[in-house]
Amino acid sequence: MENNDIGVFSKLTNSYSLVAIGGSENFYSVFESELADSIPVIHTSIAGTRIIGRLTAGNRHGLLVPNSTSDQELQHIRNSLPDTVAIQRIEERLSALGNVIACNDYCALVHPDIDRETEEIIADVLKVEVFRQTIAGNVLVGSFCSLSNQGGLVHPKTTIEDQDELSSLLQIPLVAGTVNRGSDLIGGGLVVNDWSAFAGLDTTSTELSVIESIFKLQDTRQSNIVNEMRDSLIDSMTH
Amino acid sequence: MSRLIPTGPEFIDIVLSKIQRKTPTVIHPNYKISRIRAFYMRKCKFAQDCFDEKLGQILTDFPKLDEIHPFYADLMNVLYDRDHYKLALGQINTARHLIDNVAKDYTRLLKFADSLYRCKQLKRAALGRMATIMKRQKDSLQYLEQVRQHLARLPSIDPNTRTLLVCGYPNVGKSSFMNKLTRAEVEVQPYAFTTKSLFVGHMDYKYLRWQVIDTPGILDHPLEQRNTIEMQSVTAMAHLRCCILFFMDLSEQCGYSVAEQCKLYHSIKALFVNKPTMLVINKIDVMRPDQLNSADKALIDQIVVKDNIPMVQLSCFTEEGVMDVRNMACDTLLAARVEQKMKNTNKMGDVINKLHLTTPAKRDDKERPAFIPEGVKNKIKYDTKDPNRKKLEKDLEVENGGAGVYNVDLKKLYKLENDEWKYDIIPEIMDGKNVADFIDPDIEEKLAALEEEEERLISQGFYNSDSDLEMDTEVDIRSNVREPRPKKVLDKETRSRLESRMPRKRTRSVSQGVNIARSQSVGTQLINNPTLSKRAKTSMRSQTRDRSVMGLSSGQKEVSLGMKAKTDRKKNLLAKAGEADRTIQTKMPKHLFAGKRGFASDRR
Repeated sequence: MENNDIGVFSKLTNSYSLVAIGGSENFYSVFESELADSIPVIHTSIAGTRIIGRLTAGNRHGLLVPNSTSDQELQHIRNSLPDTVAIQRIEERLSALGNVIACNDYCALVHPDIDRETEEIIADVLKVEVFRQTIAGNVLVGSFCSLSNQGGLVHPKTTIEDQDELSSLLQIPLVAGTVNRGSDLIGGGLVVNDWSAFAGLDTTSTELSVIESIFKLQDTRQSNIVNEMRDSLIDSMTH
Repeated sequence: MSRLIPTGPEFIDIVLSKIQRKTPTVIHPNYKISRIRAFYMRKCKFAQDCFDEKLGQILTDFPKLDEIHPFYADLMNVLYDRDHYKLALGQINTARHLIDNVAKDYTRLLKFADSLYRCKQLKRAALGRMATIMKRQKDSLQYLEQVRQHLARLPSIDPNTRTLLVCGYPNVGKSSFMNKLTRAEVEVQPYAFTTKSLFVGHMDYKYLRWQVIDTPGILDHPLEQRNTIEMQSVTAMAHLRCCILFFMDLSEQCGYSVAEQCKLYHSIKALFVNKPTMLVINKIDVMRPDQLNSADKALIDQIVVKDNIPMVQLSCFTEEGVMDVRNMACDTLLAARVEQKMKNTNKMGDVINKLHLTTPAKRDDKERPAFIPEGVKNKIKYDTKDPNRKKLEKDLEVENGGAGVYNVDLKKLYKLENDEWKYDIIPEIMDGKNVADFIDPDIEEKLAALEEEEERLISQGFYNSDSDLEMDTEVDIRSNVREPRPKKVLDKETRSRLESRMPRKRTRSVSQGVNIARSQSVGTQLINNPTLSKRAKTSMRSQTRDRSVMGLSSGQKEVSLGMKAKTDRKKNLLAKAGEADRTIQTKMPKHLFAGKRGFASDRR
């Protein structure tokens, strides 16, 4: 599994983390070494596939899995998750829930065409306010942004006006950026919670520093992006 | 460009052996003359193609001085002499054309050859002439091979990236500085011109990758008198967009006086125009600028004040000031680059939104704090060198046979009430039912209620009284029933046949009924009530909806159910379990039984 899109194969929230059952345990152990002391890191497949990060959506309060999840997988996840986390299987036409839902513990952005019923389930299970939104014109909001309770990284082509709107909906600071050496699939290349983030191996040091700042990891200030790091960013982003 | 260039004779050998290998080798005098001609023409043409390809490869592999970055063009001029280089490539190109012409001429002649002998002589002459042309290229080929080897060893300098360029007189400590900043490990020796070519090192600062270039020392004399080693420095200074660090040694240990060093600065400062430049005083452990005599001091002040060049000090020996100088140089260069880039509004348009940190406007009074568990802050960072580190799944995998062999224990992290339950086996399918469909959050309570009721009933003697209650009805029934037919005595064979045909006992449907009733927690006397059992059945199923009609509106659902009934009719008639049940559509497909058949073509 040589792939930089780690967000496809894993899901990270403040109360649990899911990791795909893959070829070797190296990938799992990266998460295990950083997180296993504080939250459960769970091996799982969804509908028999490894792309669990794209198929599921969740936060501290709950986990949504698509209708294609098997009963055994559901039981396995239920057994592994703490009781405080609700788990719900959703009948939704847009079954890649990770791609159509982007959420933190308080708010969720969802695909504009999602079912009304699903929207209600999202609000109930994840205990969030739900907003139908697009990011830089993309309906797959989950693929093009990564959110935590402290900040968010969105698609590099998001205009400043859109950023302002999203930010006031989510009530967190946002910045547009890339991961994996210029990839705009933020959700695919980055998984993040309130105290840690995991990014694909190709991610450059400037990208990492933006991620560290916006998600308030390593005691960095978010304003670094526009102050200290500004010159480095300009120099690395233009040629 | 890494392909070796063969020398003249080798070149010819390669081509001739290739002709031998790749073209037909047998011809007889009594063959038709057209065939003989074609045979030799082919050889000529093939020889031409081989030379053409090989020479063409050389021409395309070598960089064209007009197309590469001016820095590299100039550097190649300095190192290999532009004229010589162009001439060599030009000669190769001419040789290629000459060979083409030879081949053309001789194939034309071959058309008129009237015997095998003549053909062969013509071919020999053609190849001979081609070989002679190639032999004359010996010197060019040799020169190009040397250039190729040297080029391959040149440091890969990116002319457009962030670069610090270290320059100055020989022995002022340029290479020592380079070694302090990067891991290039340039040779440092106490004699002049230790560094004979450009060296590149890389370092990280401010999340960016920086290139540091160490140049050979230069002396102060006119440009025309400079040697190849010095010219490399000059080329780098002239063409790279970089921050120039002009090194000076005030202690004069390098063998050049301060006045000479200042003079060098003035003579090459024309190259520093529009580039951030810094005057770096090295070896301050020996001599600091304030210890200088007034004449030298004035010279330095002149540079600093008049040319507005910042002066910085460091000592590579004590490492004093090394990092300060580096940071200052990097910051100045970065600022200059950014300023230049900001002028280009086209490029900046794409970037400007990425430099914008959006802070939310408050829309309500709800607090949305971060959620970080207690243990996270004082967590000990996982370190592969720590002897007490946690044993990871990865380590277990290695111990137990590696990837592909090791099977992860998925159940060991289960959070159940009782740890002994972790490895309990729960069947997926039981009695033809999906067990998961029956999982109910209240199942424990319901079971408890049932057991309690059961106990109550037993204690009340409910089950004992059954026979008494039914007494009178039983009599009625008995009176109506005919005398039972005498039991047929079946021979062993028939019995076993019948039994094997009907393995199912009646008990199943009954027990199902009981279950339904129990899940409703009502008394057993209601078993035979048809309406109730139906309801029980539906409520039991309500946990999951029928997936075949999921997401359909009620109208669509009816239509689809109707269609399903229609399609199921045939299946049910044939007693098939479902679509996947085995069917033989055509017993004898025509294509397998008609016509001539080859060996095994009719087996599927």
